Amino acid sequence: MTRPIHDFRLLRPQSVDAVIEARSMHENSRIVAGGTDLIVNLRRGIGRPSVLISLDGVEEIGQTFVSPDGARIGSGVTIAAVLADRELAAKFPALAAAAMTIAGPSHRNLATVGGNLCLDTRCIYYNQSEWWRASNGYCLKHRGEVCHVAPQGDRCHAVFSGDLAPALLVHGAEVELAGSGGRRRMPLADLYREDGRAHLTLADDEILVGVHLKHESLRSGYAKVRTRKAMDFPLAGVAVALDGNVGALRALRVALTGTNSCPVLLQGTDELLGKPVDEALLKSIDKLVQRQAQPVRTTLASANYRRLAAAGLARRLTDSLATGNASVS
Amino acid sequence: MNASVPGTPANARRGIPLVDGVEKVTGKARYTADLDRTGALVGRIYRSPVNHAEILRLDVSRARALPGVIAVVTGDDCPHPYGVLPVAMNEYPMARDRIRYRGEPIAAVAAVDAETAEQALALIALEVRELPAYFASDEARASDAVLLHENKEGNLERAVHHAFGDIDAGFAEADLVREVSIDCAEVNHAQIEPHAALAEFDPLTGRLTMQSVSQVGYYLHLMLARCLEMDESRIRMIKPFIGGGFGARVEALNFEVITALLARVAEAKVYTELTREECFLTHRARPQTTTKLKLGMAKDGRLTACECEVIQRGGAYAGYGIVTILYAGALLQGLYRLPAVKYDGYRVYTNLPPCGAMRGHGAVNVRHTFEVLLDRMARELGLDPFDVRRANLLEAPTRTLNDLMINSYGLGECLEWVEKASGWRERRGKLAPGKGLGMACSHYVSGAAKPVHWTGEPHAVINVKLDWDGVVTVLTGAPEIGQGSSTMAVIAVAETLDIPPDWLRVICGDSEVTPKDNGAYSSRITFMVGNAAIDAARKLKGILVDAAARKLQASPDDVECAKGSFRNARSPEQVLPFIDVVREALVNEGTITVKGTFTCPPEAQGGKHRGGAVGSTMGFSYAAQVVEASIDEVTGEVTVDKVWVALDCGHAINPLAVEGQIEGSVWMGMGQALSEETRYLDGLPAHASLLEYRVPTSNESPPVDVHIVETNDPNGPFGAKEASEGALASAMPALVAAIADATGIDLDQLPVTPDRMMDALIERRRRARREATRKVAP
Repeated sequence: MTRPIHDFRLLRPQSVDAVIEARSMHENSRIVAGGTDLIVNLRRGIGRPSVLISLDGVEEIGQTFVSPDGARIGSGVTIAAVLADRELAAKFPALAAAAMTIAGPSHRNLATVGGNLCLDTRCIYYNQSEWWRASNGYCLKHRGEVCHVAPQGDRCHAVFSGDLAPALLVHGAEVELAGSGGRRRMPLADLYREDGRAHLTLADDEILVGVHLKHESLRSGYAKVRTRKAMDFPLAGVAVALDGNVGALRALRVALTGTNSCPVLLQGTDELLGKPVDEALLKSIDKLVQRQAQPVRTTLASANYRRLAAAGLARRLTDSLATGNASVS
Repeated sequence: MNASVPGTPANARRGIPLVDGVEKVTGKARYTADLDRTGALVGRIYRSPVNHAEILRLDVSRARALPGVIAVVTGDDCPHPYGVLPVAMNEYPMARDRIRYRGEPIAAVAAVDAETAEQALALIALEVRELPAYFASDEARASDAVLLHENKEGNLERAVHHAFGDIDAGFAEADLVREVSIDCAEVNHAQIEPHAALAEFDPLTGRLTMQSVSQVGYYLHLMLARCLEMDESRIRMIKPFIGGGFGARVEALNFEVITALLARVAEAKVYTELTREECFLTHRARPQTTTKLKLGMAKDGRLTACECEVIQRGGAYAGYGIVTILYAGALLQGLYRLPAVKYDGYRVYTNLPPCGAMRGHGAVNVRHTFEVLLDRMARELGLDPFDVRRANLLEAPTRTLNDLMINSYGLGECLEWVEKASGWRERRGKLAPGKGLGMACSHYVSGAAKPVHWTGEPHAVINVKLDWDGVVTVLTGAPEIGQGSSTMAVIAVAETLDIPPDWLRVICGDSEVTPKDNGAYSSRITFMVGNAAIDAARKLKGILVDAAARKLQASPDDVECAKGSFRNARSPEQVLPFIDVVREALVNEGTITVKGTFTCPPEAQGGKHRGGAVGSTMGFSYAAQVVEASIDEVTGEVTVDKVWVALDCGHAINPLAVEGQIEGSVWMGMGQALSEETRYLDGLPAHASLLEYRVPTSNESPPVDVHIVETNDPNGPFGAKEASEGALASAMPALVAAIADATGIDLDQLPVTPDRMMDALIERRRRARREATRKVAP
């Protein structure tokens, strides 16, 4: 039996403003879109919001606009819709590649871009039943005092596992937020912080309404490793976008997921511009990834494996994109 | 007529869709969770938060006092230990005095709804004195370890020591002797339907009606009578549609007994459905196994001796453990010629959910080790993997050293087909980098020739009823759990009467209607129930032929029964339709019911040595398969590109179903090889969801080319043997061999998850570097 879910009120506001109003009126509320992340956790007794605010009536966030200059993707657009959008895939290949690797078809029909970007962080000690967590004395992320992954530390190491974030990061995405103070735009990277317990920088009354992308004619791709090739979160996921060729790179961006408490836009890649894509350059990328990826024991697969796999994927993706043999998935 | 006619090769016949298939795909089928639960209370189980402890105090008074709670039961409500093996009943439905694993049931409530039941669980107070807990066999076997069960020294449930033939002479004769130790992780059935039971106790009649997901209604019936101190005649067992078994439900399970206890206390209907996590806690699957194997081999590939030690981490209670550890030794034999075999098996109690039977029961991990070592030794001797198997083929009829009976043996034909179909000779060694081909063989029993509960009754009984409407109704207790047993019974009767299967109906699994059946385990149904069905159909045919003879005024010897009608062979224009003959047969007699039975003869029931009954069977299925795989050296990911598999099932009564079972076996073996494993964090199951327990999806499922080999076993129904388990155990070693072919890496641990593969690749690189420096240095 799926555990009974606690009683809650479901609100279905029809506009972004109404959502924000509902959020400020109900302190113990949560936003729900596809529900593929939140509902699973609620059934496991993680959180007891008295009000759920559904986004499914908010028209504004449900659409994608693609223009020659770029695109705006509403946060309520489903992953399946992203996949079905050929224009989007042509301009931002990594995005489609990442979307294709998310869960399975039925999840993708429900799950949304906003939900994937705001995905709760995950840990083998956290994504368990109430009985399990209670038997283990809970954990730092929820109800407990200790992080079982790093008991000596004082922070939660739960890992961010969204697939879209790295793909959007390498395409220089900005997010559009709406709150009681109005709307603002900022780089996607600023939506996150390296803290498994509070990895989103959204204010309490703020919601993500969309993602803005500028078309830069980059070649890009996304690849991830997981124990099972579907219905599995990334042990490590890597997106790469670049411009140029094997002779010299004009642009290079690399982003990671599944390794830290937030998605990581790799620092230091600018220093590789103008250089040929050879073994030395690939080694440099490998080193950058190994240094900036900080996996810990939040999964059953070893942390070391996740670091090495991330580095290996980054090398391979860069190489294949530069040589033009991009088999990106 | 359907496609099962003996004489036509299976691969040229199609078979028929399962008779209950339409109900399943249209959603009409009622599984336990779909039954009418009007007025049913919700049962929930309070489970232990600790690994190993003495219970000091259990207070359920606050739970009992909660409005909406109708019944609360604890270990006090059932003082009788139960278990599937009469010699090893050491488990209570709810812990009494002692807790032996995290998640063990301690108490249960029945309430008006799930929310109330959950609240009641939260009001239960438990005080314990914790004891040291053991999660590995060697920890539990340590001399200073606390005993889980007082009478079991060294926490050993059973040690088995068997020796056959002259082992020393065998190794002395060998040109090559090699040893290996291989670790296979614990796996779980992960059947898609979660466990559920609906029990109704009627206080006016004192009768209990139980509907459950069980594969063994009869054993559950026995255990309910025992645990509830009820007369067997007051209990009725009904089997709804079942969504998969694989061995998960081949013994009475604690939640089933608990649901019945709740129903009796509540004097009501109680429905209990377990979460996926609770299904994993209930477990009863394949144990973590360490297999140490030593083989002796002559230069030409002939095996000269086999020495094997198996240690199974059995979990907290006995269950089927003794049978599992005996199977592991017994089924070393029966596949190849082995002149000498020594076996030492140890089944260990640990503070983890109890293991049990799972598809390929007992044989799988040992077969994996055997095939892997065979492959490595062949390589060392410069022999082809196919040739080394061929050097050790048996010849039927024969008996193995441990007295297993073999009357048909199609391994040679299986080898031939997969070798050719896979292009082994042309392609091996010439694939692209990172790709490899591997092969392996396996076998499995067609039912245990000696049942768990020895009663002296036949091994199988089936009833067939024929009435005025012309409908032939097959009444069987054999649990249809998705494997196609009801369809098999229908075909067996239809073939014998030579009428279309569509004229038959089947009623399956209701103790008040259908004859007793031992259940769906050890692949016994096709062989045993199939033979019983043919026996019943022959009796019915005799009655109909007599009736036709009367009507045709002919001698019964001259009556031909074919294609749904009867005629006089001497004057073929005299033809009677089936229904006319039925009505003639009913004159003066009324409704006809016939009974068919099957009994395994004593010579099939195994050797005289202790434990010799386990492994004994009427016949073995044989399988060979080739796996083509790719290894990604950057990520350690292993992909199975294609599988070619051949199975000797004697005769395919329903080729369509046989093909499905073979594919399913390969697929399940592939899951164990690549991604499935249980993992406990301080006794807590970290794997207890279908996300963390990684059953392969359609994405990982390769094309599987299936070939059926038919050797017509002299005792099988139409020559048939089992078809559902035999091809499983060769999937893992064939994949590991393919990885070795692709990378030169020999893996000693399952499953081959990407991180383990990566570790092995790194180790190989390190070794290469070390060797390179050594060569450079003078």
